[in-house]
Amino acid sequence: MPIHKPDRVLLHHIPLKFVRSKVAGGGRKAMDSAIPLVPFIDFLITLVVFLLSSFSASGELLSQRPNLVMPNASNAVDLELAPIIAIDARVVTLEGRRMADTQTLAATPGVERIEQLVQDLETLHRNWSILHAREPFPGTVIVQADREIDFRVVKKVMFSAAQAGYANVSFAVNRTGGS
Amino acid sequence: MGGISVGGGHGGKKNVDSDIPLVPFIDLLLCCVMFLLVTAVWNRLARLDANQQVPGQAAQQDQPPPEEQIRLYLQVTAAGYTIASTAGERIEIPKSGEDYDIDTLRTRLQERHVSEPNRRDLIVAPEDGVRYEEVVRAMDIAIGEHFVDVSLSDGAQL
Repeated sequence: MPIHKPDRVLLHHIPLKFVRSKVAGGGRKAMDSAIPLVPFIDFLITLVVFLLSSFSASGELLSQRPNLVMPNASNAVDLELAPIIAIDARVVTLEGRRMADTQTLAATPGVERIEQLVQDLETLHRNWSILHAREPFPGTVIVQADREIDFRVVKKVMFSAAQAGYANVSFAVNRTGGS
Repeated sequence: MGGISVGGGHGGKKNVDSDIPLVPFIDLLLCCVMFLLVTAVWNRLARLDANQQVPGQAAQQDQPPPEEQIRLYLQVTAAGYTIASTAGERIEIPKSGEDYDIDTLRTRLQERHVSEPNRRDLIVAPEDGVRYEEVVRAMDIAIGEHFVDVSLSDGAQL
Protein backbone atom coordinates (compact mmCIF):
# COMPACT_ATOMS: atom_id res chain seq x y z
CA MET A 1 0.00 0.00 0.00
CA PRO A 2 1.69 3.22 -1.09
CA ILE A 3 2.23 5.90 1.42
CA HIS A 4 0.50 9.10 0.62
CA LYS A 5 1.15 12.41 2.12
CA PRO A 6 -1.73 13.03 4.48
CA ASP A 7 -4.19 15.76 3.42
CA ARG A 8 -5.99 18.14 5.65
CA VAL A 9 -8.64 16.30 7.55
CA LEU A 10 -9.39 18.51 10.48
CA LEU A 11 -12.95 19.88 10.63
CA HIS A 12 -13.98 18.19 7.35
CA HIS A 13 -16.81 16.40 9.11
CA ILE A 14 -18.62 19.68 9.79
CA PRO A 15 -21.45 20.00 7.22
CA LEU A 16 -21.11 23.73 6.73
CA LYS A 17 -20.12 25.16 3.41
CA PHE A 18 -18.16 28.14 4.70
CA VAL A 19 -16.15 25.90 7.08
CA ARG A 20 -15.23 23.55 4.28
CA SER A 21 -14.22 26.37 2.00
CA LYS A 22 -11.93 27.68 4.74
CA VAL A 23 -10.31 24.44 5.84
CA ALA A 24 -10.12 22.59 2.53
CA GLY A 25 -7.09 24.57 1.52
CA GLY A 26 -8.63 25.76 -1.72
CA GLY A 27 -10.15 28.88 -0.22
CA ARG A 28 -8.34 32.13 -0.85
CA LYS A 29 -8.78 35.32 0.99
CA ALA A 30 -11.45 37.28 -0.82
CA MET A 31 -9.87 40.31 -2.52
CA ASP A 32 -13.23 41.92 -3.30
CA SER A 33 -14.37 44.57 -0.90
CA ALA A 34 -17.95 45.77 -0.99
CA ILE A 35 -18.46 49.50 -1.21
CA PRO A 36 -20.62 50.52 1.75
CA LEU A 37 -23.58 52.09 -0.02
CA VAL A 38 -25.92 52.55 2.90
CA PRO A 39 -23.87 55.32 4.61
CA PHE A 40 -23.58 57.05 1.24
CA ILE A 41 -27.34 56.93 0.86
CA ASP A 42 -27.70 58.37 4.38
CA PHE A 43 -25.42 61.25 3.40
CA LEU A 44 -27.39 61.95 0.21
CA ILE A 45 -30.70 61.87 2.03
CA THR A 46 -29.38 64.35 4.61
CA LEU A 47 -28.17 66.62 1.82
CA VAL A 48 -31.50 66.44 -0.02
CA VAL A 49 -33.44 67.23 3.15
CA PHE A 50 -31.22 70.26 3.84
CA LEU A 51 -31.55 71.59 0.30
CA LEU A 52 -35.31 71.02 0.28
CA SER A 53 -35.67 73.01 3.49
CA SER A 54 -33.89 75.98 1.90
CA PHE A 55 -35.66 75.68 -1.45
CA SER A 56 -37.39 78.83 -2.63
CA ALA A 57 -39.99 78.54 -5.37
CA SER A 58 -39.72 82.23 -6.21
CA GLY A 59 -36.09 81.92 -7.14
CA GLU A 60 -33.53 84.68 -6.92
CA LEU A 61 -35.10 88.04 -7.76
CA LEU A 62 -32.12 90.08 -6.68
CA SER A 63 -28.45 89.45 -7.15
CA GLN A 64 -25.88 90.46 -4.61
CA ARG A 65 -23.45 93.06 -5.87
CA PRO A 66 -19.96 93.45 -4.41
CA ASN A 67 -20.18 97.25 -4.06
CA LEU A 68 -23.68 97.33 -2.63
CA VAL A 69 -24.26 96.21 0.95
CA MET A 70 -27.92 96.31 1.91
CA PRO A 71 -29.12 97.02 5.44
CA ASN A 72 -30.49 94.30 7.69
CA ALA A 73 -34.05 93.93 8.94
CA SER A 74 -35.88 91.31 10.92
CA ASN A 75 -39.51 92.20 10.23
CA ALA A 76 -39.34 91.92 6.46
CA VAL A 77 -41.46 89.88 4.07
CA ASP A 78 -40.60 87.94 0.93
CA LEU A 79 -39.61 89.75 -2.21
CA GLU A 80 -42.02 89.98 -5.11
CA LEU A 81 -41.37 90.62 -8.76
CA ALA A 82 -41.12 94.33 -9.53
CA PRO A 83 -38.75 96.73 -11.33
CA ILE A 84 -35.52 97.05 -9.41
CA ILE A 85 -33.78 100.37 -8.84
CA ALA A 86 -30.27 99.85 -7.50
CA ILE A 87 -28.42 102.69 -5.77
CA ASP A 88 -24.76 102.30 -4.96
CA ALA A 89 -22.06 104.85 -4.18
CA ARG A 90 -21.50 105.73 -7.83
CA VAL A 91 -24.61 105.20 -9.93
CA VAL A 92 -28.37 104.74 -9.87
CA THR A 93 -29.58 101.99 -12.20
CA LEU A 94 -32.97 100.67 -13.28
CA GLU A 95 -32.89 97.00 -14.26
CA GLY A 96 -29.16 97.34 -14.84
CA ARG A 97 -29.38 100.49 -16.99
CA ARG A 98 -27.65 103.63 -15.75
CA MET A 99 -30.06 106.40 -14.80
CA ALA A 100 -28.16 108.98 -12.76
CA ASP A 101 -25.00 109.70 -10.83
CA THR A 102 -25.34 109.19 -7.08
CA GLN A 103 -22.85 111.88 -6.07
CA THR A 104 -24.66 114.49 -8.14
CA LEU A 105 -27.99 113.58 -6.60
CA ALA A 106 -26.56 113.71 -3.08
CA ALA A 107 -24.98 117.12 -3.65
CA THR A 108 -28.11 119.00 -4.67
CA PRO A 109 -30.70 119.78 -1.99
CA GLY A 110 -34.42 119.57 -2.50
CA VAL A 111 -36.56 117.03 -4.28
CA GLU A 112 -36.16 116.80 -8.04
CA ARG A 113 -37.12 114.45 -10.84
CA ILE A 114 -34.63 112.09 -12.39
CA GLU A 115 -35.87 112.46 -15.95
CA GLN A 116 -34.35 109.31 -17.42
CA LEU A 117 -35.71 107.26 -14.52
CA VAL A 118 -39.19 108.73 -14.89
CA GLN A 119 -39.25 108.05 -18.63
CA ASP A 120 -38.07 104.46 -18.30
CA LEU A 121 -40.51 103.75 -15.48
CA GLU A 122 -43.35 105.23 -17.50
CA THR A 123 -42.37 102.91 -20.34
CA LEU A 124 -42.44 99.94 -17.99
CA HIS A 125 -45.81 101.12 -16.71
CA ARG A 126 -47.25 101.26 -20.25
CA ASN A 127 -45.81 97.89 -21.12
CA TRP A 128 -47.23 96.34 -17.99
CA SER A 129 -50.68 97.77 -18.71
CA ILE A 130 -50.58 96.31 -22.23
CA LEU A 131 -49.48 92.89 -21.03
CA HIS A 132 -51.87 92.78 -18.05
CA ALA A 133 -54.87 94.64 -19.39
CA ARG A 134 -57.37 93.19 -16.94
CA GLU A 135 -55.28 93.45 -13.79
CA PRO A 136 -54.92 96.50 -11.60
CA PHE A 137 -51.48 98.05 -11.78
CA PRO A 138 -49.60 97.26 -8.53
CA GLY A 139 -47.37 100.32 -8.76
CA THR A 140 -44.56 98.74 -6.79
CA VAL A 141 -40.86 99.25 -7.32
CA ILE A 142 -37.97 97.62 -5.43
CA VAL A 143 -35.21 99.90 -4.18
CA GLN A 144 -31.92 98.09 -3.59
CA ALA A 145 -29.62 100.64 -1.99
CA ASP A 146 -26.31 100.56 -0.19
CA ARG A 147 -26.58 101.14 3.54
CA GLU A 148 -24.23 104.15 3.48
CA ILE A 149 -26.23 106.11 0.91
CA ASP A 150 -27.59 109.50 1.96
CA PHE A 151 -31.35 109.21 2.20
CA ARG A 152 -31.61 112.36 0.07
CA VAL A 153 -30.73 110.22 -2.97
CA VAL A 154 -33.34 107.62 -2.07
CA LYS A 155 -35.90 110.37 -1.61
CA LYS A 156 -35.27 111.68 -5.13
CA VAL A 157 -35.54 108.19 -6.55
CA MET A 158 -38.81 107.63 -4.72
CA PHE A 159 -40.14 110.97 -5.94
CA SER A 160 -39.28 110.08 -9.52
CA ALA A 161 -40.91 106.67 -9.14
CA ALA A 162 -44.06 108.30 -7.80
CA GLN A 163 -44.13 110.66 -10.78
CA ALA A 164 -44.14 107.60 -13.04
CA GLY A 165 -47.03 106.01 -11.15
CA TYR A 166 -45.06 103.77 -8.79
CA ALA A 167 -46.34 104.94 -5.42
CA ASN A 168 -45.40 101.83 -3.47
CA VAL A 169 -41.77 101.24 -2.65
CA SER A 170 -40.25 98.03 -1.35
CA PHE A 171 -36.82 98.37 0.22
CA ALA A 172 -34.66 95.31 -0.32
CA VAL A 173 -32.96 94.18 2.88
CA ASN A 174 -31.01 91.26 4.25
CA ARG A 175 -33.31 89.22 6.44
CA THR A 176 -31.90 88.59 9.91
CA GLY A 177 -33.61 86.45 12.55
CA GLY A 178 -37.25 87.28 13.31
CA SER A 179 -39.96 86.18 10.91
CA MET B 1 -25.31 45.32 -0.78
CA GLY B 2 -28.61 45.59 1.00
CA GLY B 3 -31.00 42.75 0.93
CA ILE B 4 -34.02 41.36 2.63
CA SER B 5 -34.26 37.81 3.78
CA VAL B 6 -37.81 36.61 3.88
CA GLY B 7 -37.01 33.11 5.02
CA GLY B 8 -36.98 29.96 2.96
CA GLY B 9 -34.16 28.99 0.70
CA HIS B 10 -33.11 26.06 2.83
CA GLY B 11 -32.79 22.43 1.96
CA GLY B 12 -32.45 22.92 -1.81
CA LYS B 13 -35.55 25.09 -2.16
CA LYS B 14 -35.69 28.14 -4.36
CA ASN B 15 -33.91 31.11 -2.77
CA VAL B 16 -36.46 33.82 -1.95
CA ASP B 17 -33.96 36.43 -0.80
CA SER B 18 -34.30 39.65 -2.78
CA ASP B 19 -31.73 42.41 -2.98
CA ILE B 20 -32.89 45.98 -2.82
CA PRO B 21 -31.38 47.79 -5.81
CA LEU B 22 -29.46 50.60 -4.14
CA VAL B 23 -27.60 51.99 -7.14
CA PRO B 24 -30.73 53.39 -8.90
CA PHE B 25 -31.78 54.94 -5.60
CA ILE B 26 -28.39 56.62 -5.34
CA ASP B 27 -28.81 57.88 -8.91
CA LEU B 28 -32.20 59.35 -7.98
CA LEU B 29 -30.76 61.09 -4.92
CA LEU B 30 -27.86 62.48 -6.94
CA CYS B 31 -30.27 63.92 -9.52
CA CYS B 32 -32.30 65.54 -6.72
CA VAL B 33 -29.16 66.99 -5.15
CA MET B 34 -27.95 68.42 -8.45
CA PHE B 35 -31.32 70.00 -9.22
CA LEU B 36 -31.61 71.52 -5.75
CA LEU B 37 -28.05 72.85 -5.84
CA VAL B 38 -28.69 74.59 -9.17
CA THR B 39 -31.95 76.15 -7.97
CA ALA B 40 -30.79 76.95 -4.43
CA VAL B 41 -31.13 80.54 -3.30
CA TRP B 42 -28.38 81.25 -0.84
CA ASN B 43 -29.31 84.89 -0.21
CA ARG B 44 -31.83 85.67 2.47
CA LEU B 45 -33.29 88.77 0.88
CA ALA B 46 -36.56 90.32 1.87
CA ARG B 47 -38.41 93.63 1.60
CA LEU B 48 -39.84 96.36 3.76
CA ASP B 49 -42.89 97.99 2.23
CA ALA B 50 -43.63 101.67 2.39
CA ASN B 51 -45.92 103.93 0.48
CA GLN B 52 -45.13 107.49 -0.33
CA GLN B 53 -46.72 110.66 0.83
CA VAL B 54 -46.31 112.64 -2.37
CA PRO B 55 -46.26 116.37 -1.56
CA GLY B 56 -48.61 118.51 -3.58
CA GLN B 57 -51.09 115.82 -4.49
CA ALA B 58 -54.41 117.67 -4.67
CA ALA B 59 -57.66 115.97 -3.72
CA GLN B 60 -60.06 115.41 -6.59
CA GLN B 61 -63.07 117.71 -6.83
CA ASP B 62 -65.68 114.97 -6.77
CA GLN B 63 -64.30 113.31 -3.65
CA PRO B 64 -65.23 114.50 -0.17
CA PRO B 65 -62.33 115.83 1.86
CA PRO B 66 -60.75 113.20 4.08
CA GLU B 67 -61.60 113.22 7.74
CA GLU B 68 -59.16 114.99 9.93
CA GLN B 69 -57.28 112.33 11.82
CA ILE B 70 -54.29 112.52 14.09
CA ARG B 71 -51.16 111.48 12.29
CA LEU B 72 -48.19 109.94 14.03
CA TYR B 73 -44.71 110.80 12.79
CA LEU B 74 -41.32 109.32 13.43
CA GLN B 75 -38.66 111.80 12.47
CA VAL B 76 -35.15 110.53 11.89
CA THR B 77 -32.66 113.34 12.21
CA ALA B 78 -28.94 113.66 12.69
CA ALA B 79 -29.57 114.25 16.41
CA GLY B 80 -31.77 111.21 16.98
CA TYR B 81 -35.42 110.22 16.76
CA THR B 82 -38.52 112.32 17.39
CA ILE B 83 -41.97 110.82 17.81
CA ALA B 84 -44.55 113.50 17.14
CA SER B 85 -48.20 113.74 16.28
CA THR B 86 -50.47 116.33 14.73
CA ALA B 87 -52.15 116.60 18.14
CA GLY B 88 -49.07 118.42 19.36
CA GLU B 89 -47.29 115.79 21.38
CA ARG B 90 -43.58 115.37 20.89
CA ILE B 91 -41.07 112.90 22.30
CA GLU B 92 -37.39 113.45 21.65
CA ILE B 93 -35.06 110.45 21.65
CA PRO B 94 -31.52 111.78 21.33
CA LYS B 95 -28.63 109.62 20.25
CA SER B 96 -26.70 107.72 22.88
CA GLY B 97 -23.20 108.70 21.93
CA GLU B 98 -22.73 108.19 18.23
CA ASP B 99 -25.49 105.61 17.83
CA TYR B 100 -29.22 105.97 17.61
CA ASP B 101 -31.06 104.86 20.75
CA ILE B 102 -33.09 102.07 19.24
CA ASP B 103 -33.99 100.51 22.59
CA THR B 104 -35.70 103.69 23.77
CA LEU B 105 -37.40 104.06 20.41
CA ARG B 106 -38.72 100.53 20.68
CA THR B 107 -39.97 101.21 24.22
CA ARG B 108 -41.73 104.42 23.20
CA LEU B 109 -43.40 102.73 20.25
CA GLN B 110 -44.54 99.89 22.48
CA GLU B 111 -46.08 102.42 24.87
CA ARG B 112 -47.76 104.14 21.98
CA HIS B 113 -49.16 100.85 20.73
CA VAL B 114 -50.54 100.07 24.18
CA SER B 115 -52.27 103.45 24.36
CA GLU B 116 -53.58 103.13 20.77
CA PRO B 117 -53.87 99.43 19.95
CA ASN B 118 -55.89 100.09 16.77
CA ARG B 119 -53.35 102.39 15.18
CA ARG B 120 -51.33 100.67 12.46
CA ASP B 121 -50.04 103.65 10.51
CA LEU B 122 -46.87 105.59 11.09
CA ILE B 123 -45.18 108.19 8.92
CA VAL B 124 -41.40 107.97 8.88
CA ALA B 125 -39.90 111.35 8.01
CA PRO B 126 -36.13 111.20 7.58
CA GLU B 127 -34.06 114.33 7.26
CA ASP B 128 -31.58 114.90 4.48
CA GLY B 129 -28.17 113.63 5.42
CA VAL B 130 -29.40 110.62 7.40
CA ARG B 131 -27.93 107.33 6.33
CA TYR B 132 -30.25 104.97 4.48
CA GLU B 133 -29.44 102.18 6.94
CA GLU B 134 -30.79 104.24 9.86
CA VAL B 135 -34.04 104.92 8.04
CA VAL B 136 -34.51 101.22 7.28
CA ARG B 137 -33.74 100.36 10.90
CA ALA B 138 -36.37 102.82 12.11
CA MET B 139 -38.90 101.33 9.69
CA ASP B 140 -38.00 97.82 10.83
CA ILE B 141 -38.51 98.72 14.48
CA ALA B 142 -41.81 100.41 13.71
CA ILE B 143 -43.10 97.36 11.81
CA GLY B 144 -41.94 95.14 14.64
CA GLU B 145 -44.01 97.19 17.09
CA HIS B 146 -47.20 96.62 15.08
CA PHE B 147 -47.12 99.81 13.01
CA VAL B 148 -47.33 97.85 9.78
CA ASP B 149 -48.62 100.65 7.53
CA VAL B 150 -45.44 102.66 7.22
CA SER B 151 -45.37 105.71 4.98
CA LEU B 152 -42.38 107.81 4.06
CA SER B 153 -42.49 111.56 3.99
CA ASP B 154 -40.08 114.44 3.63
CA GLY B 155 -38.72 115.31 7.05
CA ALA B 156 -38.02 118.87 6.02
CA GLN B 157 -41.72 119.64 5.68
CA LEU B 158 -42.57 118.87 9.32
